[in-house]
Amino acid sequence: MAELTGSKALFEALKAEGVKHIFGIPGGAIIPVYDALYDEHEIRHILTRHEQGAAHAADGYARALGKQGVCMTTSGPGATNLTTGILNAYMDSSPVVAISGQVPTQALGADAFQEADMLSVMLPITKHNFIIHRIEELPSVVRLAFKVAMTGRPGPIHIDLPKNVQAAKADLKIPAQIKYEKPIKFEPDAGQVRKAVDMLTKAEQPVIFSGGGIVWSGASNELIELAELLNAPVTTSLLGKGTIPEDHPLALGMLGMHGRMAANTAVTESDMLLAVGVRFSDRSTGDVHYFAPKAKIIHIDIDPVEIGKNVRVDLPVVGDAKRSLTAIIKELRSRAKRGRASGWLERVKKLRKEFAPRMDYDEVPIKPQRAIKEIQGVLDENAIIVTEVGQCQMWAAHFYVVRKSRHFISSGGLGTMGFGFPASMGVKVARPECDVVNIAGDGSFLMNSQELATVVENEINVVSCIFNNRYLGMVKQWQDMFFEKRRSATSLGKVPDFAKLAEAYGAWGDRAAKPSEVAPKLREALRCGKPAVLDIPIDPDEHVLPMVPAGGRIDQMLT
Amino acid sequence: MKIRIFSVLCENVPGVMMRITRGFTRRQINLDSITVGIEPTGLARIILMFKADDHMAELMRRVLSRSEPIVDVEVIEPERSIVREVALLKTRKLDEKQLLEVIQQVERVGGRVLESKGNVVIAELSGEHDEIERAIEALGPKLLKEVARSGQVLMSREVS
Repeated sequence: MAELTGSKALFEALKAEGVKHIFGIPGGAIIPVYDALYDEHEIRHILTRHEQGAAHAADGYARALGKQGVCMTTSGPGATNLTTGILNAYMDSSPVVAISGQVPTQALGADAFQEADMLSVMLPITKHNFIIHRIEELPSVVRLAFKVAMTGRPGPIHIDLPKNVQAAKADLKIPAQIKYEKPIKFEPDAGQVRKAVDMLTKAEQPVIFSGGGIVWSGASNELIELAELLNAPVTTSLLGKGTIPEDHPLALGMLGMHGRMAANTAVTESDMLLAVGVRFSDRSTGDVHYFAPKAKIIHIDIDPVEIGKNVRVDLPVVGDAKRSLTAIIKELRSRAKRGRASGWLERVKKLRKEFAPRMDYDEVPIKPQRAIKEIQGVLDENAIIVTEVGQCQMWAAHFYVVRKSRHFISSGGLGTMGFGFPASMGVKVARPECDVVNIAGDGSFLMNSQELATVVENEINVVSCIFNNRYLGMVKQWQDMFFEKRRSATSLGKVPDFAKLAEAYGAWGDRAAKPSEVAPKLREALRCGKPAVLDIPIDPDEHVLPMVPAGGRIDQMLT
Repeated sequence: MKIRIFSVLCENVPGVMMRITRGFTRRQINLDSITVGIEPTGLARIILMFKADDHMAELMRRVLSRSEPIVDVEVIEPERSIVREVALLKTRKLDEKQLLEVIQQVERVGGRVLESKGNVVIAELSGEHDEIERAIEALGPKLLKEVARSGQVLMSREVS
């Protein structure tokens, strides 16, 4: 026991959690915490230029590293500015721990200056949230927050910390361990595993559908092993990209609205769909009545809420993805007879060949497919691709071949424009040894471009490739396809000059106007020793194709 | 749609009711009754009644179970439990004939007149939800000025 202020105790608890980085912005209601930070040398604080940037950075950090990312803000507007980032993390199951200052407990509810009822605001958009009313609760609440964020299905946690609690002093002990009593079923039921194997061995046209649960469970190796054992092709959700190397002979690419036709067709023809760590988003399934219509569906997930939520499931397996796949592999290996569907593989091979995406366009303005091809050519498999949201994101998701888990980071469930750039900053801080490239649209990039100041000041050398079509491109695409080309409020005009914008912040900026310029300029951007922005003007009329219209059948793609 | 009863055991902390109800709000489910009592352990037991199809009821059970302060969600079959509700009724100013009618009606369903002065009656009914519903309906807004109801309190018949 030692007498500590709440602020000092907060840092002791954060250090006990191994926190090395915090993204945040101070303000009136969290000054005591920042005062204590002044003496902390083991924690690097990265001052963002908007709290939303801090939340996305912590999210990117968490996704790249597979552990909690931390952001910190003041009360009121500082805290409410976190909300988009926190919901984004919630939708994609990312363990962000957000800490906000709050007005003193005696002022709560009095509409004090910069007071916001954050307990209520954060409640529906976090896995769990806390307000610390008494200093004695602080050490255990902070440690519990970190535990809850990572245990079972990960998710964001918000801690509201009133100013008087930050400043109070008490004899406090940081608990070495915290008891977390929520029962979470990690181990799959043995009977369900046997049934799953019975079904899998009988399948003639199996497909595996892999999602973010594989990433968080670290089950990529097991996924690949099982796919090879069963000779089952693997498709992924957006968040599952990289769980199997996408150049693996069994990899089909992404499923769904902007997925690969080969994946959508294989799922539609399959007689057995093994879905692992996915939530069957409408963007993946299209019309659920025509989703995998011939298939029995096995759904493995650690969160029972997801089972049967969106699609019918023939066999639920509640458990951790890695442990469940390991159990299935073990059971499968113990069986004498295992079907290996060879005719199916021929069919899958044919589909992959038939629907291989075309990227070799030479036109100016540059076709986005070609730009992705050029970027792919420059980067190795250790590079991490982060994306903004919209057309740029879907071009990256459709065409970019990801070879490793946690090497493609994108805003899935919430579809948050402005996510990519601050997230890439968090990714680079987490994995400084990797090249980090944000594939951005001009619309998305401007939503958080103020973080150029942060990356320059903190020497976080990320590269943003701006697929610049001067439109809110995905909305424009829908207007072109479904609203008689009435491009209402989607033109972004002519400004800014992104290269000059970058230079104004002291970053590297340039433009690649021809396909042949993309690769050399990207190499230069990666080597320039500064954060960089590469403006790539692209064909403004290009659509993301193929595409399943909203609510359509995934086997009926518009091309 | 079928009537569902959940008995939710949860930590007795501020905000726990909001954590429970907001999941229903979001899915456009109206809660017909909520009652709260504190268990001898200090945990709160919240009884929820609502209407939902099988799919939604099961989803809500899982959603609630996932919530951090919720310890347990028990799905209660009405036939395997004892359900009671208390209602307090206050009448309008009544004439003699109406007064007699109200008193008879209350006594017929096993209720009690608690107060009667100035031609206004305050009465108590207790029993099953439907009985109370019928009695209130029979008296109607012409006779009744105010009704306060406890919501449905419930106990499983299981002994273990």
